[in-house]
Formats: sequence, structure tokens, C-alpha cells
Amino acid sequence: MTVQTEYLITAIDGIPEMSKKRKAEGWRFVQLMAVNTEEGIDLIYSFMKDGVLQNNKIEHVMKTDVIPSITDDFFAAFVFENEVHDLFGVDIRGIAIDFGGNFYALAQSEPMTIISPAQKAAREKARAAAIAKAERAKKAAAANAAYVMDHPGAKPARKADDGLIKPSTEGFEEKLKGMDPEKVARVRAAMAAKARKAAVANAEFVEGKKSVEEDEKAAKEAALEAKLKDMDPEKAAKVRAAMAAKAAKEAAAAEGNDAKEGE
Amino acid sequence: MGKATVIPFGPQHPVLPEPLHLDLVVEDEKVIEAIPQIGFVHRGLEKLVETRDYNQFIYVAERICGICAFGHSMGYAETVERLMGVEIPTRAEYLRVIWHELSRIHSHILWMGLAADAFGFESLFMHCWRLRERVLDIFEKTTGGRVIFSVVKVGGVVRDIDKLQFNEIKRVLEGIKHDYNQLCKAFLKDTSVKNRTVGVGYISHEDALDLSMVGPFARASSVNNDSRCLGNGGYKFLSDFQPIMDGQGDCYARVKVRALEVLQSIDIIEEMIAKIPEGDIAVPVKGSPADGAESSNVVEQPRGECYYYARGNGSKYLERMRMRTPTSQNLGGMTKVLAGCDLADVNMIVLTIDPCISCTER
Repeated sequence: MTVQTEYLITAIDGIPEMSKKRKAEGWRFVQLMAVNTEEGIDLIYSFMKDGVLQNNKIEHVMKTDVIPSITDDFFAAFVFENEVHDLFGVDIRGIAIDFGGNFYALAQSEPMTIISPAQKAAREKARAAAIAKAERAKKAAAANAAYVMDHPGAKPARKADDGLIKPSTEGFEEKLKGMDPEKVARVRAAMAAKARKAAVANAEFVEGKKSVEEDEKAAKEAALEAKLKDMDPEKAAKVRAAMAAKAAKEAAAAEGNDAKEGE
Repeated sequence: MGKATVIPFGPQHPVLPEPLHLDLVVEDEKVIEAIPQIGFVHRGLEKLVETRDYNQFIYVAERICGICAFGHSMGYAETVERLMGVEIPTRAEYLRVIWHELSRIHSHILWMGLAADAFGFESLFMHCWRLRERVLDIFEKTTGGRVIFSVVKVGGVVRDIDKLQFNEIKRVLEGIKHDYNQLCKAFLKDTSVKNRTVGVGYISHEDALDLSMVGPFARASSVNNDSRCLGNGGYKFLSDFQPIMDGQGDCYARVKVRALEVLQSIDIIEEMIAKIPEGDIAVPVKGSPADGAESSNVVEQPRGECYYYARGNGSKYLERMRMRTPTSQNLGGMTKVLAGCDLADVNMIVLTIDPCISCTER
């Protein structure tokens, strides 16, 4: 058994009702906190009962919004309501012991709403990475769909990252420890057979992938040759020279990379 | 009926090791209302999460408090592990429980010393702190630190304890148990101590429930808010865990609950040492918490339940880290329990709540 955590979305208008309901049902107040986001401030009220930790989330609260206090039902919340007011500038009305903004001795007002350059950079980096990842996934899906369209007989792409089957051996030895030796031998034989089968399948997959790539390359070259034949011979020679230079440059770059890796 | 007078208590006061202020409204010698105030040394450690990545922040988390240092690093690590879906090795969970319970022993014995000092029993204070030194010696031998340990990391722990050290821990705890029983007699049976604690600072079971109190403060009023019962982390391996409770609800009950919890912690450590399995102590953790992912967790610190919340933003820095410490939760109970007491009992009542302002001013 471990603590079960749940998150529920609540509206600002629903706070008094939520508080009364929690009190009537015998929930214990755990805490109130705020999270500063670009869309506004998220308030999270936490309650616990019978090992279940429920968090009521009020999303995108603006500084102009008025939040009703829950200290009539849960007196212990006065500390957190004053804290949220002082650190985030949330306007909470009707707190049982209201310090009027003097709960914390702070050098600047509402310090937790200041988005630091470090936080801004981290957010932007994470956002760019997420966009790039989505783009890559979209491109891969489009390429896969196009390939399937062009090659109706082709097998669908495998799920594993590199397309290879990897038999799982995680926790295998531990499981075998307490077993009957005869059974262990049988299990080991079955695992070896499975590994052999996977190796054959992987070899076939790699071979198939290679031949498909070679076919595609040959088809491309043939199409290019056909195109060059129809062109003016002088222009065709120029294109051929440019292509040769490009290939040489790519080979040199690849060599350079290898050398760098070797270092 | 006398005239109401407001007496400021703290933030600098001989009985308070940390800055807590109370506005005590008194009539004659009776306190009729008490308004607590904190915030004199707010450090903004939660804001620091924006400039420390989730591995570095563990060192900030354990510096929130010098007494609950291990509990904070463990609570933070467990919350981030939940956030990233990391499962740590079983041996690491056992080791965390052993160190956490050692922290509870040293926290409670430290508190007992402070309480003894508050009611003027100097020699008892010295005996308590001498005993505590032996627990700190265990920490020094097993972690290298006496106050800040730095043994927890996201994914497990960084140090193992070998069999020889376990035998040494068992031997030291056996010795502590013997001496501690002598101290308990003074705390629980001595008339001069009982005069200051029995019937003082009473809070009923209903009020304790109503005020959402946590820790030994709540358990002394028969409210079971002990989050070890939920079986988080290594606590799920305990064969039988029954929290120490008392229904008396006064200062004496709070002393008794803490006194007995030390013995319970020794039993937990002995059980964990007997059952700890061999294996790895950490798993590698790669990647960053997903954007918008959130997790929350509770850990039973020596002073009560501590709530942790983490939210990721897709980078190695967390968007938000929150620690709600037990003292901020118990301030409501403190105002209630102080109303109606004698002015001379205020220091005793405040101490038996065991407020930790450095935790609260994180």
C-alpha cells in the first residue's frame, strides 16, 4: 500500500462548496500552494482521507480574481493563505487571521511570480525540444506512410527503436534461483531457442532493410541518368562534375567525423 | 476580570532556539488569545529550484533543516522518482528507512533535552544530548556527516552499509536503549517534571482533527496522521507498524509519545537490519521530468507529516518544488492550545509542539 494521489480541477466559484463538502466528508486539510505559470497562477488545495491524497487544482488564477478563504472550515489554512498572498500576490479574502501582506518579511513583493532568466531559458529550451520532437515524429510518420504506399508488399515498421527484436532477460536469473533444476534447464533451453529465433529474424530484417535501401539508390541513379541523357551534353557534364564534387566533399566530411570519434 | 494586555513573546526568547513570534493577549495571568507569526528569516529555497537541476537540488532540500536533513532529502528524492517513474532498488529503500529512523531518534532526544532545559532540569538536558551524540557518531561512521549527510540521490542512495557496520549499529542502539530507559523514567515518572506537564496545554481529539494537526502533537490526542502507516518507500517492508498514540492530549502525553517513539524507531531499525536484502543501492536516472508532469508525496518527519510536490517543465530544472512542513500545519493547533493557558506555561506548551522554524522558513 502506498499513498494514492489524485488531481481534480475545480473552478474559483466552486471553492466554498468544495471546502464544505470536504469538511462534511471528514477529509483532513493537508496544504494550499500556488504555482506560477505563463497563463496565470495555479492554486492547489490538498486533502487526505484513508490514505488517499486528493489535490483540487484551480487553474490560471489572475491577480484580479478574488479567492474566498477556506479558514471557516479549515482553520489551519490561514498560514498558507497568507503565504500565497505574500509570495504570489493572490487576493484571498476572509482569512481568519489576516496579516494583510505582512506575514513574511520580504525584500521584494510577490517574489514567486518573478520569472527568472534561468527559468525562462529552461522553459524555452524545453518548448523548442518538444516542438522538434513532434516535428521529427510527424516527419517519420509521413515517410513511413509514403513508403507503405509505394511498397504495398512491405512489412510494417517494427516497434523497437532500431527495428531489432531484443529478448528481455531482466530479472531472469533471480526468477530461476528458487526453481526446480529440471525446470530451470527447460526454461534455459526455451530462452536459447527464443534468442536464436530473434537473431535469425534480426538478420533477415537487417538484410531486407539493406536490399531495400540499395534498390532505392539504384532506382534514383537510373532516374538521374535518364534525366541527364535528355539534357544538353555540356550542361549534363557540369551537373556530373558538381555531383562528383559533392560526393567527394561528403566522403571527406564523413572521414573527418570518424577521425574525431577516434580521438 | 483584569484588563487585557498584549505581551509579545519572541522572536528572541530564551526558550526559543529559532525566531517565532507570539502576540499573547493576557488577562491577569491567563492567555486569552495567541497569534503566531513567522517569516523573519524566509529563505526562498523553493524559488532556488529554478537554478538548480533536479540532481543538484537534493543538496538544497537537505539544508532546509539541520535536524530533518535526511527526511527532506528522502522526501524530495521520492517525489522526483515518482515524477519520473523511477523504481529504486529494495536495498536502497531499506537503507533510507534505517537512516530516517536514526534521524527520528536524534531529533526526539534533542527535543527532550531542550524540554528539560526549558523546565529547568539542566542535568537531564545534558544526559539527553550526551546520548544523542552516540546517534550522531553512527551517522558519521555510515555517511561521513553528522548533520548534513548527502547520502540520498534520485534513484537510490550513494553509500552502502556493510555487515560490520550493521553489527556496530545494533551494538550502539542496544547501549542507547539501556541508558534511554533511565532517561524515560525521569521524563515520565519524576514529580517535578510531571508538575510542569500533566494537564497543561490540553487539546481534545475533536479539536486535533478539526485543526488538521500532524505528528506527535496530533498523536498525543489520539489522531493517527502517521504517514508511515501508508507504507511509502521502505516502510512497506515492516511486518507490523502501529503508531504510538495517547488520548490524554496534554504536554505529558506529547512527551510520552515522543519518548516511546524513540524505542519504536530502535525496533524498526533492528527489524530492517535483520531483513535487508543484498543488491544494488541505486539505479541510473536519465532524462528530464516531462513538461507539465506533477507528483506529490508525504513523508513522516520526526515532527510530523511533510508534504512534497514537484512539477516538471521538460527540462532538467523543475518548474515548481513545494515542501509543506509539519510546523506550518501545526500553527493553527498552537493558537488553539495556547488560548486559556497560564502565561507561565506558554514556553512548555510551545516546546511540546516542537516547532521547527527553519523548516517552516524554507
